Amino acid sequence: MASSGIGVHPGCLQDYQTLKLGKKLKYIIFKFSPDFKEIVTEKTSESDKYEDFLADLPEDQCRFAVYDFHFQKEGAGQRNKVCFFLWNPDAATIKSRMLTASSKEALRKSFDGIHIDVQGSDLSEVSYENVLEKASRSF
Amino acid sequence: MVNYGGDEVSALVIDIGSSSLRAGYAGDDTPKAIIPSPYGYIPPSAFSGDGDATMNENGASEVAGKAKSYFGHSGPSIWRANMEIGNPISDGLIADFGPIPALIRHALEDVMHCSASEHPILVTEPSWNTPANRERMAEIMFEEFQVPAFYIANTSVLNTFAAGKGSALVIDIGQSVASVVPVVDGFVLRKGLQFSSLPKLVHAHARHLLTTPNPVRPPADLYPYQLISSKQAVEPNAHPRYTLREDRLAGTTRSWREWYEAREVEEWVQTVAGVLDQGWNDQLLQHRQHKQYEFPTGYNAWFGPERFGVGEMYFHHTPQLAGNPDIPKHIPGLITDSLKACDPELRQVLISNVVLTGGGSLFSGLADRLGSELARSFPHFKIHAPGNPIERRYGGWLGGSILASLGTFHQLWISREEWQEHGKAIVGQRCK
Repeated sequence: MASSGIGVHPGCLQDYQTLKLGKKLKYIIFKFSPDFKEIVTEKTSESDKYEDFLADLPEDQCRFAVYDFHFQKEGAGQRNKVCFFLWNPDAATIKSRMLTASSKEALRKSFDGIHIDVQGSDLSEVSYENVLEKASRSF
Repeated sequence: MVNYGGDEVSALVIDIGSSSLRAGYAGDDTPKAIIPSPYGYIPPSAFSGDGDATMNENGASEVAGKAKSYFGHSGPSIWRANMEIGNPISDGLIADFGPIPALIRHALEDVMHCSASEHPILVTEPSWNTPANRERMAEIMFEEFQVPAFYIANTSVLNTFAAGKGSALVIDIGQSVASVVPVVDGFVLRKGLQFSSLPKLVHAHARHLLTTPNPVRPPADLYPYQLISSKQAVEPNAHPRYTLREDRLAGTTRSWREWYEAREVEEWVQTVAGVLDQGWNDQLLQHRQHKQYEFPTGYNAWFGPERFGVGEMYFHHTPQLAGNPDIPKHIPGLITDSLKACDPELRQVLISNVVLTGGGSLFSGLADRLGSELARSFPHFKIHAPGNPIERRYGGWLGGSILASLGTFHQLWISREEWQEHGKAIVGQRCK
Protein backbone atom coordinates (compact mmCIF):
# COMPACT_ATOMS: atom_id res chain seq x y z
CA MET A 1 0.00 0.00 0.00
CA ALA A 2 1.08 3.54 -0.62
CA SER A 3 1.95 4.54 2.91
CA SER A 4 4.05 7.31 4.38
CA GLY A 5 6.48 4.86 5.94
CA ILE A 6 6.35 6.83 9.18
CA GLY A 7 7.06 4.48 12.11
CA VAL A 8 5.45 3.92 15.50
CA HIS A 9 7.37 4.65 18.71
CA PRO A 10 7.35 1.59 21.05
CA GLY A 11 5.88 3.80 23.78
CA CYS A 12 2.58 3.96 21.85
CA LEU A 13 2.09 0.22 22.14
CA GLN A 14 3.00 0.26 25.85
CA ASP A 15 0.44 2.98 26.50
CA TYR A 16 -2.14 1.06 24.51
CA GLN A 17 -1.51 -2.10 26.57
CA THR A 18 -1.89 -0.06 29.74
CA LEU A 19 -5.23 1.23 28.54
CA LYS A 20 -6.46 -2.19 27.47
CA LEU A 21 -5.31 -4.22 30.46
CA GLY A 22 -5.06 -1.69 33.26
CA LYS A 23 -8.66 -0.47 32.94
CA LYS A 24 -7.60 2.89 34.34
CA LEU A 25 -6.68 4.91 31.29
CA LYS A 26 -9.64 6.24 29.40
CA TYR A 27 -8.01 7.56 26.30
CA ILE A 28 -4.69 8.18 24.55
CA ILE A 29 -3.89 10.86 21.97
CA PHE A 30 -1.10 10.26 19.47
CA LYS A 31 0.72 12.65 17.15
CA PHE A 32 3.81 12.88 14.97
CA SER A 33 7.22 13.49 16.49
CA PRO A 34 8.68 16.91 15.59
CA ASP A 35 10.90 15.38 12.86
CA PHE A 36 7.93 13.44 11.41
CA LYS A 37 9.81 10.16 11.60
CA GLU A 38 7.45 8.41 13.98
CA ILE A 39 4.17 8.54 15.83
CA VAL A 40 4.43 9.21 19.58
CA THR A 41 2.02 9.49 22.49
CA GLU A 42 0.93 13.08 23.10
CA LYS A 43 -1.24 12.50 26.13
CA THR A 44 -2.84 9.78 28.23
CA SER A 45 -5.89 10.56 30.35
CA GLU A 46 -8.03 8.93 33.00
CA SER A 47 -10.86 11.42 32.61
CA ASP A 48 -14.15 9.70 31.90
CA LYS A 49 -15.76 12.89 30.61
CA TYR A 50 -16.18 12.49 26.85
CA GLU A 51 -16.04 16.29 26.46
CA ASP A 52 -12.49 16.26 27.84
CA PHE A 53 -11.53 13.85 25.09
CA LEU A 54 -13.14 16.03 22.42
CA ALA A 55 -11.38 19.07 23.83
CA ASP A 56 -8.06 17.31 23.30
CA LEU A 57 -8.69 17.03 19.55
CA PRO A 58 -7.28 20.25 18.11
CA GLU A 59 -9.44 22.22 15.70
CA ASP A 60 -6.84 22.51 12.97
CA GLN A 61 -4.42 19.66 13.53
CA CYS A 62 -4.57 15.95 12.87
CA ARG A 63 -4.32 13.33 15.60
CA PHE A 64 -4.81 9.63 16.24
CA ALA A 65 -6.58 8.47 19.39
CA VAL A 66 -7.71 5.37 21.22
CA TYR A 67 -10.74 5.59 23.52
CA ASP A 68 -12.04 2.94 25.91
CA PHE A 69 -15.73 3.41 25.33
CA HIS A 70 -18.18 2.20 28.03
CA PHE A 71 -21.91 2.10 27.45
CA GLN A 72 -25.10 0.36 28.47
CA LYS A 73 -26.39 -2.08 25.92
CA GLU A 74 -30.11 -2.52 26.16
CA GLY A 75 -30.91 -5.74 28.00
CA ALA A 76 -27.26 -6.73 28.02
CA GLY A 77 -25.77 -4.54 30.75
CA GLN A 78 -22.47 -2.70 30.75
CA ARG A 79 -20.26 -3.10 27.68
CA ASN A 80 -16.96 -1.66 26.59
CA LYS A 81 -15.43 -1.26 23.15
CA VAL A 82 -12.01 0.12 22.33
CA CYS A 83 -12.30 2.70 19.58
CA PHE A 84 -9.61 3.95 17.22
CA PHE A 85 -9.92 7.53 16.00
CA LEU A 86 -8.43 9.13 12.91
CA TRP A 87 -8.92 12.85 13.53
CA ASN A 88 -8.40 14.90 10.39
CA PRO A 89 -10.22 18.23 10.60
CA ASP A 90 -10.88 20.04 7.31
CA ALA A 91 -9.04 23.06 8.74
CA ALA A 92 -5.76 21.11 8.82
CA THR A 93 -3.38 21.53 5.90
CA ILE A 94 -3.62 19.05 3.04
CA LYS A 95 -0.09 17.98 3.89
CA SER A 96 -0.90 16.99 7.44
CA ARG A 97 -4.13 15.30 6.34
CA MET A 98 -2.22 13.28 3.76
CA LEU A 99 0.47 12.39 6.27
CA THR A 100 -1.99 11.29 8.91
CA ALA A 101 -4.17 9.23 6.61
CA SER A 102 -1.23 7.50 4.97
CA SER A 103 0.34 6.69 8.36
CA LYS A 104 -2.80 5.44 10.06
CA GLU A 105 -2.47 1.76 9.15
CA ALA A 106 1.00 1.51 10.71
CA LEU A 107 -0.38 2.57 14.10
CA ARG A 108 -3.76 0.91 13.77
CA LYS A 109 -2.40 -2.51 12.90
CA SER A 110 0.03 -2.52 15.80
CA PHE A 111 -2.96 -2.48 18.20
CA ASP A 112 -4.97 -5.66 18.58
CA GLY A 113 -8.43 -5.69 20.10
CA ILE A 114 -9.76 -2.51 18.48
CA HIS A 115 -13.51 -2.91 17.98
CA ILE A 116 -14.50 0.26 16.23
CA ASP A 117 -12.86 2.60 13.74
CA VAL A 118 -13.95 6.20 13.66
CA GLN A 119 -12.66 8.72 11.13
CA GLY A 120 -13.67 12.28 11.80
CA SER A 121 -13.19 15.59 10.08
CA ASP A 122 -15.57 17.53 12.31
CA LEU A 123 -16.97 17.19 15.85
CA SER A 124 -20.29 15.73 14.73
CA GLU A 125 -18.52 12.71 13.27
CA VAL A 126 -16.75 11.95 16.56
CA SER A 127 -19.67 12.91 18.82
CA TYR A 128 -20.67 10.68 21.73
CA GLU A 129 -23.94 9.80 20.00
CA ASN A 130 -22.21 8.81 16.79
CA VAL A 131 -19.70 6.58 18.54
CA LEU A 132 -22.44 5.12 20.76
CA GLU A 133 -24.43 4.26 17.67
CA LYS A 134 -21.46 2.49 16.10
CA ALA A 135 -20.72 0.69 19.36
CA SER A 136 -24.30 -0.51 19.84
CA ARG A 137 -24.48 -1.78 16.28
CA SER A 138 -21.42 -3.99 16.58
CA PHE A 139 -21.28 -7.16 18.64
CA MET B 1 11.51 24.33 5.77
CA VAL B 2 10.43 21.35 7.82
CA ASN B 3 12.17 18.20 6.75
CA TYR B 4 9.54 15.50 6.94
CA GLY B 5 10.97 12.20 8.03
CA GLY B 6 14.65 12.84 7.42
CA ASP B 7 16.39 12.82 4.08
CA GLU B 8 16.05 15.38 1.36
CA VAL B 9 14.50 13.45 -1.52
CA SER B 10 13.74 15.85 -4.37
CA ALA B 11 11.56 13.35 -6.18
CA LEU B 12 9.42 14.14 -9.21
CA VAL B 13 5.71 13.39 -9.53
CA ILE B 14 3.94 12.72 -12.84
CA ASP B 15 0.17 12.45 -13.17
CA ILE B 16 -1.19 11.78 -16.67
CA GLY B 17 -4.85 12.41 -17.45
CA SER B 18 -7.00 12.54 -20.58
CA SER B 19 -6.66 16.30 -20.90
CA SER B 20 -3.29 17.10 -19.40
CA LEU B 21 -0.04 15.76 -18.03
CA ARG B 22 0.95 17.21 -14.67
CA ALA B 23 4.56 17.05 -13.55
CA GLY B 24 6.43 18.73 -10.75
CA TYR B 25 8.68 18.45 -7.73
CA ALA B 26 7.49 16.40 -4.76
CA GLY B 27 6.74 18.73 -1.86
CA ASP B 28 5.41 21.53 -4.09
CA ASP B 29 1.75 22.41 -3.81
CA THR B 30 1.18 22.82 -7.55
CA PRO B 31 2.68 20.98 -10.52
CA LYS B 32 5.39 23.01 -12.32
CA ALA B 33 4.46 21.65 -15.74
CA ILE B 34 0.87 21.27 -16.88
CA ILE B 35 0.87 20.40 -20.57
CA PRO B 36 -1.83 18.97 -22.83
CA SER B 37 -1.81 15.17 -23.19
CA PRO B 38 -2.80 15.46 -26.85
CA TYR B 39 0.06 16.24 -29.22
CA GLY B 40 0.41 17.31 -32.81
CA TYR B 41 2.21 15.34 -35.52
CA ILE B 42 2.80 15.71 -39.19
CA PRO B 43 2.73 12.33 -40.93
CA PRO B 44 5.72 11.64 -43.24
CA SER B 45 3.41 11.50 -46.27
CA ALA B 46 2.27 15.08 -45.73
CA PHE B 47 5.74 16.34 -45.05
CA SER B 48 7.38 16.26 -48.45
CA GLY B 49 5.62 19.37 -49.81
CA ASP B 50 6.56 22.86 -48.76
CA GLY B 51 9.17 22.08 -46.09
CA ASP B 52 7.35 23.35 -43.06
CA ALA B 53 8.92 26.37 -41.38
CA THR B 54 8.12 25.22 -37.87
CA MET B 55 10.70 22.47 -37.78
CA ASN B 56 12.93 24.03 -35.19
CA GLU B 57 10.17 25.34 -33.05
CA ASN B 58 10.26 24.58 -29.36
CA GLY B 59 8.25 21.48 -28.55
CA ALA B 60 9.12 19.61 -31.72
CA SER B 61 10.56 16.16 -31.36
CA GLU B 62 10.79 12.78 -33.00
CA VAL B 63 8.35 9.94 -32.56
CA ALA B 64 8.94 6.67 -34.37
CA GLY B 65 7.05 6.51 -37.64
CA LYS B 66 5.86 10.09 -37.42
CA ALA B 67 8.06 12.65 -39.03
CA LYS B 68 7.58 15.46 -36.58
CA SER B 69 5.72 15.74 -33.31
CA TYR B 70 4.78 18.77 -31.29
CA PHE B 71 4.17 18.74 -27.56
CA GLY B 72 3.18 21.17 -24.85
CA HIS B 73 1.75 24.64 -25.01
CA SER B 74 3.29 25.38 -28.39
CA GLY B 75 2.29 21.92 -29.55
CA PRO B 76 -1.20 20.88 -30.64
CA SER B 77 -2.80 24.29 -30.11
CA ILE B 78 -0.66 26.01 -32.75
CA TRP B 79 -2.00 25.72 -36.27
CA ARG B 80 0.39 23.96 -38.64
CA ALA B 81 -0.27 22.77 -42.17
CA ASN B 82 -1.19 19.09 -42.27
CA MET B 83 -0.74 18.62 -38.52
CA GLU B 84 -2.84 15.84 -37.05
CA ILE B 85 -3.73 15.50 -33.36
CA GLY B 86 -3.20 12.33 -31.37
CA ASN B 87 -3.96 11.55 -27.76
CA PRO B 88 -2.08 8.66 -26.13
CA ILE B 89 -4.77 8.49 -23.42
CA SER B 90 -8.04 6.72 -24.01
CA ASP B 91 -10.63 6.13 -21.25
CA GLY B 92 -8.13 7.41 -18.71
CA LEU B 93 -5.52 4.77 -19.60
CA ILE B 94 -2.40 5.04 -21.71
CA ALA B 95 -3.53 3.35 -24.92
CA ASP B 96 -0.53 4.32 -27.04
CA PHE B 97 2.87 4.27 -25.35
CA GLY B 98 4.59 5.51 -28.52
CA PRO B 99 4.53 9.24 -27.76
CA ILE B 100 4.64 8.86 -23.95
CA PRO B 101 8.42 9.14 -23.49
CA ALA B 102 8.55 12.25 -25.68
CA LEU B 103 5.59 13.77 -23.84
CA ILE B 104 7.21 13.17 -20.44
CA ARG B 105 10.57 14.36 -21.73
CA HIS B 106 8.99 17.59 -22.91
CA ALA B 107 7.46 18.23 -19.46
CA LEU B 108 10.62 17.39 -17.52
CA GLU B 109 13.34 18.76 -19.78
CA ASP B 110 11.79 21.59 -21.80
CA VAL B 111 9.40 22.93 -19.16
CA MET B 112 11.00 22.00 -15.83
CA HIS B 113 14.60 21.94 -17.08
CA CYS B 114 15.50 18.92 -15.02
CA SER B 115 16.92 15.52 -15.76
CA ALA B 116 14.93 12.41 -14.85
CA SER B 117 18.06 10.38 -14.22
CA GLU B 118 18.77 12.43 -11.10
CA HIS B 119 15.40 12.07 -9.39
CA PRO B 120 13.20 9.29 -8.06
CA ILE B 121 9.88 9.46 -9.95
CA LEU B 122 6.41 8.72 -8.65
CA VAL B 123 3.77 8.18 -11.35
CA THR B 124 0.04 7.96 -10.67
CA GLU B 125 -2.38 5.48 -12.21
CA PRO B 126 -6.18 5.20 -12.33
CA SER B 127 -7.82 2.30 -10.47
CA TRP B 128 -8.64 0.48 -13.70
CA ASN B 129 -5.05 0.49 -14.95
CA THR B 130 -3.77 -2.88 -16.19
CA PRO B 131 -0.71 -4.73 -14.81
CA ALA B 132 0.84 -4.68 -18.28
CA ASN B 133 0.43 -0.91 -18.45
CA ARG B 134 2.09 -0.19 -15.11
CA GLU B 135 4.97 -2.53 -15.92
CA ARG B 136 5.47 -0.77 -19.23
CA MET B 137 5.59 2.55 -17.38
CA ALA B 138 8.21 1.17 -14.99
CA GLU B 139 10.20 -0.05 -17.96
CA ILE B 140 10.09 3.36 -19.64
CA MET B 141 11.20 5.04 -16.43
CA PHE B 142 14.10 2.72 -15.70
CA GLU B 143 15.26 1.93 -19.23
CA GLU B 144 14.61 5.15 -21.15
CA PHE B 145 14.81 7.75 -18.41
CA GLN B 146 17.36 5.94 -16.24
CA VAL B 147 15.57 6.98 -13.04
CA PRO B 148 17.28 5.97 -9.77
CA ALA B 149 13.93 4.91 -8.21
CA PHE B 150 10.28 4.56 -9.19
CA TYR B 151 6.86 4.12 -7.63
CA ILE B 152 3.38 3.98 -9.11
CA ALA B 153 0.50 5.09 -6.86
CA ASN B 154 -3.24 4.81 -7.29
CA THR B 155 -5.01 8.15 -7.74
CA SER B 156 -8.12 7.04 -5.80
CA VAL B 157 -5.97 6.14 -2.80
CA LEU B 158 -4.00 9.39 -3.10
CA ASN B 159 -7.24 11.38 -3.20
CA THR B 160 -8.58 9.49 -0.18
CA PHE B 161 -5.44 10.23 1.82
CA ALA B 162 -5.32 13.85 0.67
CA ALA B 163 -8.81 14.22 2.12
CA GLY B 164 -7.42 12.91 5.41
CA LYS B 165 -9.25 9.61 5.23
CA GLY B 166 -8.32 5.96 5.30
CA SER B 167 -11.63 4.88 3.79
CA ALA B 168 -13.72 6.86 1.32
CA LEU B 169 -15.90 6.68 -1.76
CA VAL B 170 -13.92 8.64 -4.35
CA ILE B 171 -15.95 10.30 -7.10
CA ASP B 172 -13.52 11.48 -9.74
CA ILE B 173 -14.82 13.38 -12.74
CA GLY B 174 -12.26 13.89 -15.47
CA GLN B 175 -12.41 15.04 -19.06
CA SER B 176 -13.32 11.67 -20.52
CA VAL B 177 -14.07 9.37 -17.57
CA ALA B 178 -16.23 9.62 -14.44
CA SER B 179 -15.40 7.04 -11.80
CA VAL B 180 -16.66 5.93 -8.39
CA VAL B 181 -14.09 3.98 -6.40
CA PRO B 182 -14.46 2.61 -2.87
CA VAL B 183 -11.21 2.78 -0.89
CA VAL B 184 -11.06 0.88 2.39
CA ASP B 185 -8.12 1.25 4.78
CA GLY B 186 -5.95 2.51 1.95
CA PHE B 187 -6.83 -0.20 -0.57
CA VAL B 188 -9.10 -0.01 -3.60
CA LEU B 189 -12.03 -2.37 -3.28
CA ARG B 190 -11.92 -3.66 -6.84
CA LYS B 191 -15.37 -5.20 -6.89
CA GLY B 192 -16.91 -1.79 -6.22
CA LEU B 193 -14.98 -0.02 -8.99
CA GLN B 194 -17.31 1.75 -11.42
CA PHE B 195 -16.52 4.09 -14.28
CA SER B 196 -18.08 5.37 -17.47
CA SER B 197 -17.42 7.81 -20.29
CA LEU B 198 -20.14 10.10 -18.94
CA PRO B 199 -18.14 13.33 -19.48
CA LYS B 200 -18.07 12.55 -23.20
CA LEU B 201 -21.85 12.26 -23.25
CA VAL B 202 -22.17 15.63 -21.49
CA HIS B 203 -19.77 17.08 -24.03
CA ALA B 204 -21.70 15.61 -26.96
CA HIS B 205 -24.93 17.04 -25.58
CA ALA B 206 -23.39 20.52 -25.26
CA ARG B 207 -22.05 20.32 -28.80
CA HIS B 208 -25.41 19.23 -30.15
CA LEU B 209 -27.10 22.08 -28.31
CA LEU B 210 -24.74 24.65 -29.79
CA THR B 211 -24.64 23.39 -33.37
CA THR B 212 -28.33 22.62 -33.84
CA PRO B 213 -30.54 25.49 -35.05
CA ASN B 214 -33.41 26.49 -32.79
CA PRO B 215 -36.25 29.05 -33.08
CA VAL B 216 -34.35 31.89 -31.37
CA ARG B 217 -30.85 31.54 -32.76
CA PRO B 218 -28.84 30.10 -35.62
CA PRO B 219 -26.42 27.23 -34.99
CA ALA B 220 -22.94 28.18 -33.78
CA ASP B 221 -19.94 27.57 -36.04
CA LEU B 222 -17.10 26.27 -33.92
CA TYR B 223 -14.22 27.57 -36.05
CA PRO B 224 -11.21 28.31 -33.83
CA TYR B 225 -9.63 31.76 -34.00
CA GLN B 226 -6.66 30.35 -35.95
CA LEU B 227 -8.94 29.85 -38.94
CA ILE B 228 -10.61 33.25 -38.83
CA SER B 229 -9.09 36.22 -40.63
CA SER B 230 -11.63 38.86 -39.66
CA LYS B 231 -14.96 39.27 -37.92
CA GLN B 232 -17.47 42.01 -37.21
CA ALA B 233 -19.43 42.74 -34.08
CA VAL B 234 -22.98 41.47 -34.43
CA GLU B 235 -26.11 41.55 -32.29
CA PRO B 236 -26.82 38.58 -29.98
CA ASN B 237 -28.50 35.65 -31.77
CA ALA B 238 -27.66 37.17 -35.17
CA HIS B 239 -25.78 35.38 -37.91
CA PRO B 240 -22.06 36.04 -37.43
CA ARG B 241 -20.12 37.99 -40.04
CA TYR B 242 -16.63 36.60 -40.39
CA THR B 243 -14.24 35.54 -43.07
CA LEU B 244 -12.15 32.40 -42.89
CA ARG B 245 -8.46 32.12 -43.57
CA GLU B 246 -8.73 30.44 -46.95
CA ASP B 247 -4.95 30.00 -47.00
CA ARG B 248 -5.18 27.66 -44.02
CA LEU B 249 -8.32 25.67 -44.74
CA ALA B 250 -6.75 23.22 -47.17
CA GLY B 251 -3.92 22.38 -44.78
CA THR B 252 -6.20 21.93 -41.78
CA THR B 253 -6.60 18.28 -40.86
CA ARG B 254 -9.82 16.81 -39.63
CA SER B 255 -8.30 15.63 -36.34
CA TRP B 256 -6.91 19.09 -35.56
CA ARG B 257 -10.23 20.74 -36.30
CA GLU B 258 -12.18 18.20 -34.25
CA TRP B 259 -9.81 18.66 -31.34
CA TYR B 260 -10.03 22.43 -31.48
CA GLU B 261 -13.80 22.43 -31.87
CA ALA B 262 -13.97 20.23 -28.78
CA ARG B 263 -11.93 22.87 -26.97
CA GLU B 264 -14.39 25.57 -28.02
CA VAL B 265 -17.27 23.48 -26.68
CA GLU B 266 -15.31 22.80 -23.48
CA GLU B 267 -14.69 26.50 -23.01
CA TRP B 268 -18.41 27.18 -23.40
CA VAL B 269 -19.28 24.41 -20.94
CA GLN B 270 -16.91 25.77 -18.31
CA THR B 271 -18.12 29.33 -18.70
CA VAL B 272 -21.83 28.94 -19.31
CA ALA B 273 -23.19 25.48 -18.45
CA GLY B 274 -24.38 24.49 -15.00
CA VAL B 275 -26.70 22.22 -13.12
CA LEU B 276 -29.57 23.05 -10.77
CA ASP B 277 -28.82 22.02 -7.21
CA GLN B 278 -32.25 20.53 -6.52
CA GLY B 279 -33.04 18.83 -9.81
CA TRP B 280 -34.88 20.06 -12.89
CA ASN B 281 -37.53 22.65 -12.11
CA ASP B 282 -39.08 24.81 -14.85
CA GLN B 283 -40.31 27.40 -12.38
CA LEU B 284 -36.96 27.87 -10.71
CA LEU B 285 -35.31 28.12 -14.09
CA GLN B 286 -37.32 31.26 -14.90
CA HIS B 287 -35.40 33.04 -12.16
CA ARG B 288 -31.91 31.92 -13.10
CA GLN B 289 -29.75 34.40 -14.93
CA HIS B 290 -29.13 34.03 -18.62
CA LYS B 291 -25.49 34.07 -19.62
CA GLN B 292 -23.94 35.63 -22.68
CA TYR B 293 -21.14 33.93 -24.56
CA GLU B 294 -19.21 34.88 -27.66
CA PHE B 295 -17.49 32.42 -29.98
CA PRO B 296 -14.35 33.15 -32.03
CA THR B 297 -16.55 33.82 -35.09
CA GLY B 298 -18.13 36.78 -33.31
CA TYR B 299 -21.36 34.87 -32.93
CA ASN B 300 -22.83 35.54 -29.53
CA ALA B 301 -25.99 34.58 -27.72
CA TRP B 302 -27.72 34.59 -24.36
CA PHE B 303 -28.14 31.10 -22.95
CA GLY B 304 -31.08 30.49 -20.61
CA PRO B 305 -32.57 27.26 -19.22
CA GLU B 306 -30.78 25.19 -21.88
CA ARG B 307 -27.46 25.83 -20.17
CA PHE B 308 -28.70 23.82 -17.18
CA GLY B 309 -29.85 20.97 -19.40
CA VAL B 310 -26.18 20.18 -20.03
CA GLY B 311 -25.42 19.51 -16.37
CA GLU B 312 -28.58 17.47 -15.99
CA MET B 313 -26.85 14.79 -18.08
CA TYR B 314 -24.51 14.06 -15.16
CA PHE B 315 -27.43 13.01 -12.98
CA HIS B 316 -30.36 12.04 -15.13
CA HIS B 317 -30.92 10.36 -18.48
CA THR B 318 -34.10 10.98 -20.45
CA PRO B 319 -36.24 7.83 -20.93
CA GLN B 320 -35.08 7.36 -24.51
CA LEU B 321 -31.43 7.56 -23.44
CA ALA B 322 -31.94 5.40 -20.35
CA GLY B 323 -33.29 2.58 -22.52
CA ASN B 324 -30.06 2.40 -24.50
CA PRO B 325 -27.56 -0.02 -22.92
CA ASP B 326 -24.61 1.73 -24.58
CA ILE B 327 -25.24 5.02 -22.82
CA PRO B 328 -22.64 5.66 -20.09
CA LYS B 329 -23.96 5.42 -16.53
CA HIS B 330 -24.72 8.71 -14.81
CA ILE B 331 -23.28 9.61 -11.41
CA PRO B 332 -26.15 8.27 -9.25
CA GLY B 333 -26.04 5.04 -11.27
CA LEU B 334 -22.30 4.67 -10.75
CA ILE B 335 -22.69 5.27 -7.01
CA THR B 336 -25.57 2.81 -6.64
CA ASP B 337 -23.75 0.07 -8.55
CA SER B 338 -20.54 0.67 -6.64
CA LEU B 339 -22.23 0.46 -3.23
CA LYS B 340 -24.25 -2.57 -4.28
CA ALA B 341 -21.01 -4.48 -4.78
CA CYS B 342 -19.77 -3.57 -1.27
CA ASP B 343 -20.66 -5.27 2.02
CA PRO B 344 -23.69 -3.61 3.67
CA GLU B 345 -21.74 -2.55 6.78
CA LEU B 346 -19.21 -0.76 4.60
CA ARG B 347 -21.81 1.25 2.72
CA GLN B 348 -22.49 3.61 5.61
CA VAL B 349 -18.78 4.27 6.12
CA LEU B 350 -18.31 5.00 2.41
CA ILE B 351 -21.30 7.25 2.00
CA SER B 352 -20.28 9.21 5.11
CA ASN B 353 -16.91 9.81 3.45
CA VAL B 354 -17.52 10.83 -0.13
CA VAL B 355 -14.52 12.56 -1.70
CA LEU B 356 -15.29 14.63 -4.80
CA THR B 357 -12.34 15.30 -7.09
CA GLY B 358 -11.23 15.84 -10.69
CA GLY B 359 -11.38 18.91 -12.91
CA GLY B 360 -14.86 17.97 -14.16
CA SER B 361 -16.21 18.18 -10.61
CA LEU B 362 -15.70 21.95 -10.76
CA PHE B 363 -18.67 22.08 -13.16
CA SER B 364 -20.93 24.81 -11.82
CA GLY B 365 -23.43 23.48 -9.27
CA LEU B 366 -22.25 19.87 -9.46
CA ALA B 367 -21.15 19.46 -5.83
CA ASP B 368 -24.43 20.90 -4.49
CA ARG B 369 -26.49 18.74 -6.80
CA LEU B 370 -24.55 15.65 -5.73
CA GLY B 371 -25.46 16.54 -2.15
CA SER B 372 -29.17 16.71 -2.89
CA GLU B 373 -29.05 13.46 -4.90
CA LEU B 374 -27.35 11.67 -2.01
CA ALA B 375 -29.82 13.14 0.49
CA ARG B 376 -32.65 11.35 -1.34
CA SER B 377 -31.18 7.92 -0.68
CA PHE B 378 -29.07 8.25 2.44
CA PRO B 379 -29.95 9.77 5.83
CA HIS B 380 -26.30 10.37 6.70
CA PHE B 381 -23.75 11.35 4.12
CA LYS B 382 -20.86 13.75 3.91
CA ILE B 383 -19.07 15.11 0.88
CA HIS B 384 -15.50 16.28 1.12
CA ALA B 385 -15.02 18.63 -1.82
CA PRO B 386 -12.00 20.93 -1.49
CA GLY B 387 -12.94 24.56 -2.14
CA ASN B 388 -9.53 25.20 -3.60
CA PRO B 389 -9.79 24.38 -7.34
CA ILE B 390 -6.13 23.36 -7.48
CA GLU B 391 -6.73 20.69 -4.84
CA ARG B 392 -9.75 19.49 -6.80
CA ARG B 393 -8.14 19.53 -10.24
CA TYR B 394 -4.78 18.10 -9.21
CA GLY B 395 -5.77 16.08 -6.11
CA GLY B 396 -3.96 12.96 -7.31
CA TRP B 397 -0.80 14.87 -8.18
CA LEU B 398 -0.86 16.71 -4.84
CA GLY B 399 -1.26 13.50 -2.84
CA GLY B 400 1.66 11.99 -4.73
CA SER B 401 3.66 15.16 -4.21
CA ILE B 402 3.28 14.96 -0.44
CA LEU B 403 3.93 11.24 -0.23
CA ALA B 404 7.02 11.29 -2.44
CA SER B 405 8.50 14.20 -0.48
CA LEU B 406 8.70 12.15 2.71
CA GLY B 407 12.07 10.81 3.76
CA THR B 408 10.26 7.89 5.37
CA PHE B 409 8.68 6.96 2.03
CA HIS B 410 12.06 5.69 0.80
CA GLN B 411 11.30 2.13 1.89
CA LEU B 412 8.59 1.96 -0.79
CA TRP B 413 10.58 3.20 -3.77
CA ILE B 414 11.61 0.53 -6.25
CA SER B 415 15.31 1.17 -6.68
CA ARG B 416 17.23 0.71 -9.89
CA GLU B 417 19.09 -2.23 -8.35
CA GLU B 418 15.84 -3.94 -7.41
CA TRP B 419 14.51 -3.42 -10.92
CA GLN B 420 17.62 -4.93 -12.44
CA GLU B 421 17.46 -7.88 -10.07
CA HIS B 422 13.74 -8.69 -10.08
CA GLY B 423 12.44 -7.14 -13.29
CA LYS B 424 8.78 -6.36 -13.86
CA ALA B 425 7.50 -8.62 -11.07
CA ILE B 426 8.63 -6.14 -8.43
CA VAL B 427 6.15 -3.51 -9.61
CA GLY B 428 3.09 -5.56 -8.66
CA GLN B 429 4.69 -6.66 -5.39
CA ARG B 430 5.70 -3.22 -4.19
CA CYS B 431 2.93 -1.01 -5.54
CA LYS B 432 -0.19 -2.66 -4.21
